[in-house]
Amino acid sequence: MTPTNRPFHFRLFSPVFLPFFLFAFIFAGIPPADVYARDVTVGVYENAPKVFTDENGKPAGIFIDIIQFIAEEEGWNLHYKAGTWAEGLDRLRDGEIDLMPDVAYTAARNDIFDFHEEPLLSSWFQVYARKGSGIRSIVDMHGKRVVVLEGSVQKEAFEQFTGGFGFDITLMSRPDYKAMFEMVASGKADAVVSNNFYGMMHTQKHGLEDTAVIFNPSLLFFAAPKGKNRELLEGIDRHLAEIKKDTQSIYYKSVARWTSEKIAYKLPFWVAMVGIALAALMIIGAVGSLVLKKQVNLRTQELRKINSEIEERIRLRTAELAEATQRAQAADRIKSAFLATMSHELRTPLNSIIGFTGILLQQLAGPLNDEQKKQLGMVQNSSRHLLSLINDILDISKIEAGEIKLSFSPYDLAPSLEKTVQLVKPLADKKGLKLTTEIDASVGVVISDQRRLEQIVINLLNNAVKFTEQGSVGVSCRRKDDVYILTVSDTGPGIKEEDIQGLFQPFHQIDTGISRKYEGSGLGLSICKKLIELMGGTIAVESRWNEGSAFTIRFPAEQGEKI
Amino acid sequence: MNNRLLIIEDNPQNIYMMHFLLEKNGFEVIEAMTGPDGIEKAVRYQPRAILLDIQLPEMDGYAIAAELLRRPETAGIPIIAVTSYAMSGDREKILAAGATGYIEKPINPDTFVQEMMQYLPGLPNDEKEQT
Repeated sequence: MTPTNRPFHFRLFSPVFLPFFLFAFIFAGIPPADVYARDVTVGVYENAPKVFTDENGKPAGIFIDIIQFIAEEEGWNLHYKAGTWAEGLDRLRDGEIDLMPDVAYTAARNDIFDFHEEPLLSSWFQVYARKGSGIRSIVDMHGKRVVVLEGSVQKEAFEQFTGGFGFDITLMSRPDYKAMFEMVASGKADAVVSNNFYGMMHTQKHGLEDTAVIFNPSLLFFAAPKGKNRELLEGIDRHLAEIKKDTQSIYYKSVARWTSEKIAYKLPFWVAMVGIALAALMIIGAVGSLVLKKQVNLRTQELRKINSEIEERIRLRTAELAEATQRAQAADRIKSAFLATMSHELRTPLNSIIGFTGILLQQLAGPLNDEQKKQLGMVQNSSRHLLSLINDILDISKIEAGEIKLSFSPYDLAPSLEKTVQLVKPLADKKGLKLTTEIDASVGVVISDQRRLEQIVINLLNNAVKFTEQGSVGVSCRRKDDVYILTVSDTGPGIKEEDIQGLFQPFHQIDTGISRKYEGSGLGLSICKKLIELMGGTIAVESRWNEGSAFTIRFPAEQGEKI
Repeated sequence: MNNRLLIIEDNPQNIYMMHFLLEKNGFEVIEAMTGPDGIEKAVRYQPRAILLDIQLPEMDGYAIAAELLRRPETAGIPIIAVTSYAMSGDREKILAAGATGYIEKPINPDTFVQEMMQYLPGLPNDEKEQT
């Protein structure tokens, strides 16, 4: 008998050989006199098919199969402790349990837990659509109705994922996956967001198909309390690496068993029926006729074939999904790189236009009449505006591609602020605005990225001067403990309460009526927010409609490497 | 002391702009569009300073600066980098490579000449800023 069919045959013969098995079981149950046997307590919670409690109250699932296999190999005595997900993590932190399954690696978790290195499973969210809905990729999502899991991170993750595309998507939610899939099956929604494991098990049953819309990938591990159980994690890594190489191993069998609905739920029934029939025949045949043997072999082969077909299907599907994820990530990188390169290429000719216009306006090349001066002034203004738009696009694409690098060094904050104020003074003077600077005596040296910090302040000042028609614009700065607090305030039109929330989102400019009057890319504040956060700081706004606004940034006095 | 400056830069419009501005301010200007040509002209004409673009095809500004510093005939000539590498960190990199000063592109016609002059040694008039 091959190992593949062992559980099935135990069941088949159990009535006959029960006494023998009982004896064998008791015998095997006596622990070997191994003083090194180690007790390992593993957390269990309900997230089928990864880990869950089966109908007999026993822990089951992919993670459990794997750890049982490894425990047997390593001579560990496994104990289980069931609870909720949160309880499991608390117990792990407090060292009450040694291992917790199904933990996604994050930087924050790595601070309190240890992880092994070889991921056990990868998980992601995927959109599953009704057949014929036409949804293949993210671009087909516009105008569709999508159902997500109530109270999960799905909604936020999905909105974040699709947010940049500006699609009109109707989001609905249901409390469990079953209800969600039924909504799509019945046509009340076009697509559903699910984790890949549930999706794999239930897609076909509901007449859905998978799409290339995949997001929020995470790698799943066993986690251990920080600084303890290193040797357990090493043991897991050693075996995982081995069994992931071998397509006939417990790893692939377990994944196949729990993620294929046919094997897990439908096969056992008819397999059992056939098995009982076969068993009866065998017992009647007593010594075992050749015909019977042949039949058994035939069935076994059939089972093996089905099994390997399903394994193959899963392997193929997993590979396809990994490839799709990779393609999506590559496309994103190409987009950002393209934007960055294009922006650079656009700047070179534009700088030439700005430079020569400046020379002509200086009248170094000869005198100009008033009309020529006026028109060249317009050329200069428009090209400077275009340059600032391109610079904004360059910045945001660099930030989004994770390519921005800050360089921290110490410098005097007060003169740097004076300098930025001088830059907006011409425009403020022209509009008749009072420009005030209030720098507290506590302001001294800061360790930060001077260029980027000045960029933020200039942006805030420019906005204030741009939107304020009368009154004043002021900058104030003081140091409180290890943090600098800098406020740019104005007596401009202010911001309506409902507009404040989206203010720091990319491409946001409040009220289309205004955006026609005040040109800009709508990227400035989102760049400010991202930059100040990269510096370990924050940005906040206080504003009342018709009363003015105050933008406050807080940033550490000493950031990054001290030089 | 001569009033000669060497520009090493591959964009004709940028050369023209710098050339124009410098000439208007009484400098004599020599142009080179590649590194080898620039090094050869630096040796031959012994300019007071070299305005050096960093992003050049084949031999880039860092390599040119290294070569100019290596040769005894040109080692004493100040190198002023003029480049659109506006990213933080690039300034330090080019100064570490031996440049005396750094002017950022796009050059501002209103301030370019003044910016350049602060890096010139032995300027007799009081326009020079002490650095």
